[in-house]
Amino acid sequence: MNTAKSRSPARYLGNALVLGVLVLLALPMEAVAHGERAQLASMRMRTLHWFDIEVSPVRVNVGDTVVITGKFIPSEFWPEQLPSVTDTAFLNVGAPGPKFIRVHSEVNGVPMIRSTAFEPGKLYEFKSVVRARVPGRYHIHPLLNVKDAGTLVGKGSWVEVEPSLTGEPFTNEITTLTGETVDLENVGLKSVIGWHLVWILVGVAFLAYWLAKPELFIPRYMRVRNLGPEQANTMITRRDFLAGGIFFTISMVLILAGYLWAEHKYPVTIPLQTGKVGVPGRPVPSGPLVVEVENANYELAGRSLTMRMKLANEGDSPIEIREFVTANIRFINGPAAAAGVVENEELVAGDSLHSSVSTIAPGQHVDVVLRAEDSLWETQRMTGLIHDPDSRFAGLLVYRDAEGKRYYQEVGGSILPKFF
Amino acid sequence: MANIALPAPRITDASGHYDLSILDNPRARSYYRRFDGILIIVLFSFIALGISIHYALTAGDWDYWIDWRDRRWWPLVTPLSLMIFIGGFVYPIWKAFRLPVIATAVTTLLCLVSWVSRYFNFGQFTDFPLSFTFPSTYIGLGVIFDSVLIMTRSLLISAIVGPFLFGALIWPLNWPLFAASKVPVEYSGTLVSVADLMGYQYIRTTTPEYLRIIEESTLRTFGGSVTPLTAVFSAFVAVIGYSLFLLLGAALYNFAGRYARRII
Repeated sequence: MNTAKSRSPARYLGNALVLGVLVLLALPMEAVAHGERAQLASMRMRTLHWFDIEVSPVRVNVGDTVVITGKFIPSEFWPEQLPSVTDTAFLNVGAPGPKFIRVHSEVNGVPMIRSTAFEPGKLYEFKSVVRARVPGRYHIHPLLNVKDAGTLVGKGSWVEVEPSLTGEPFTNEITTLTGETVDLENVGLKSVIGWHLVWILVGVAFLAYWLAKPELFIPRYMRVRNLGPEQANTMITRRDFLAGGIFFTISMVLILAGYLWAEHKYPVTIPLQTGKVGVPGRPVPSGPLVVEVENANYELAGRSLTMRMKLANEGDSPIEIREFVTANIRFINGPAAAAGVVENEELVAGDSLHSSVSTIAPGQHVDVVLRAEDSLWETQRMTGLIHDPDSRFAGLLVYRDAEGKRYYQEVGGSILPKFF
Repeated sequence: MANIALPAPRITDASGHYDLSILDNPRARSYYRRFDGILIIVLFSFIALGISIHYALTAGDWDYWIDWRDRRWWPLVTPLSLMIFIGGFVYPIWKAFRLPVIATAVTTLLCLVSWVSRYFNFGQFTDFPLSFTFPSTYIGLGVIFDSVLIMTRSLLISAIVGPFLFGALIWPLNWPLFAASKVPVEYSGTLVSVADLMGYQYIRTTTPEYLRIIEESTLRTFGGSVTPLTAVFSAFVAVIGYSLFLLLGAALYNFAGRYARRII
């Protein structure tokens, strides 16, 4: 029988909500994005150019190390309004929590325990060594945290971590400057738990003294009202006063005892350490090619970036343009396989870079039209360029000479959209 | 139908005094006791929820990670955060019930809630070791604060002595918990403490090293006596913070009292 209750909109809504929650619970999806696409296209193109990123090995056991290497160039077109890498930055690892511990990191050979600063237009070669800690399958990236600006993410790789071959739990032992070897997984934890238990006992005892009184809220409220503000303090009895004095004394003695115990057990301690380290940038190997960008267009319908530039080969070997890298997307002149691409891990568009001049001969000055064309412009939300309040682009132009030696340099400038 | 005027039930006499003989009635006492139990659960749940949210918003990272608990900012921020919360509650609970338990209740509940959060959220869910994320303790300070109120029976004196001791003793109280993490280590040619090294090793993608608001070198460190100077400054800040929120609590309590009487 249909009743008014069973047909009520609230009931339908309730059922729909329950069903919706069940569907969401039944369809767990893997989170593999990091929010890069939410960032403005012009910001992604003009901040950091990551390249040559490698993660190896990608199958390890707990306790084994994984090495992340690569290079980056801070853009010379870094937006003025964005806090810059010239202030404070930190080389980080993007991982879902401490599934790995970082045992070493360096940039251009300088250890990166602390924060640093980078110079735009310089080359930085980095290396991070992490040790697998928790079994699972993880997507790990190099990251650069830039103070007050945000996080810039490099190419990620999936790493499979199997349990330890020995079956032993993960340990992280280090030797302090006082000669003691400690496991950072549980250093000082016994003392922490012990002292917490002591204080919880004191706190609970204090609360129990008061809350176990036969009269609490309503009776005490009535007595306070009857006694009036002047006399209400007499409700704190001599016994309460004594108990307060005992708890006060116990707490003071415990604090003093704890402090002296810690001073005796750890006679040598230092404050937390901070401060920046300097890291010199290396010149970008731009080789003999001189590049001058004249103008650039973004064609919305064609999903392509067209750059008109003057190129001059001042070397003695012919130069061939191979690649244009921007916002972690590689547009390749020729098949992707020939460019050392890591399958399924990179945003690569093979045969997507078209040059009006295939080779620039030694001594040749030539006008070149370079077109980077692929649907990745759309799928990676780079089409947002036309909506950005600062329509400028930048990217890394990669080229090589006849001997196969690779060179690169940053190009960039204003960009105009073509709507039709 | 004729209007029948029913006399309102009164539990106070003409001078506003309650008839306390009701407290001698065993049945009434039994009901009051049950109500006390419910009120304790409600009040303590509210305090536990409130302090955990308030503390996460105002002290947050300073208490989540051992590499944030430095000797300058942590002893300054955490007592102030706790004192302003406690200050708002002390006046109503003292004025209405003469119960000097708020500071102990807040610090004990915060401790218990923090352990649950650190174990499940930070430990089981995200795999951070407890040695890196264990909570600090403030229970001793809460007990001292409430004991001062008991012994002085004065909101004014306790508003000066209680918060002062709260701010001044926070570092020595926690030193047995922290000291192991302040032992020096040499790592890649750099001097770091055990806590710094843990902060470096246990990867936090969005909490880079520079994000920490901790002591930095300055020309104004008074010969390196940072800890005692911070303790004194923290004590004064705690007194001011507590007093302001005690006044706020008093204003709200008196306003609510007047409003409630008008409705009744």
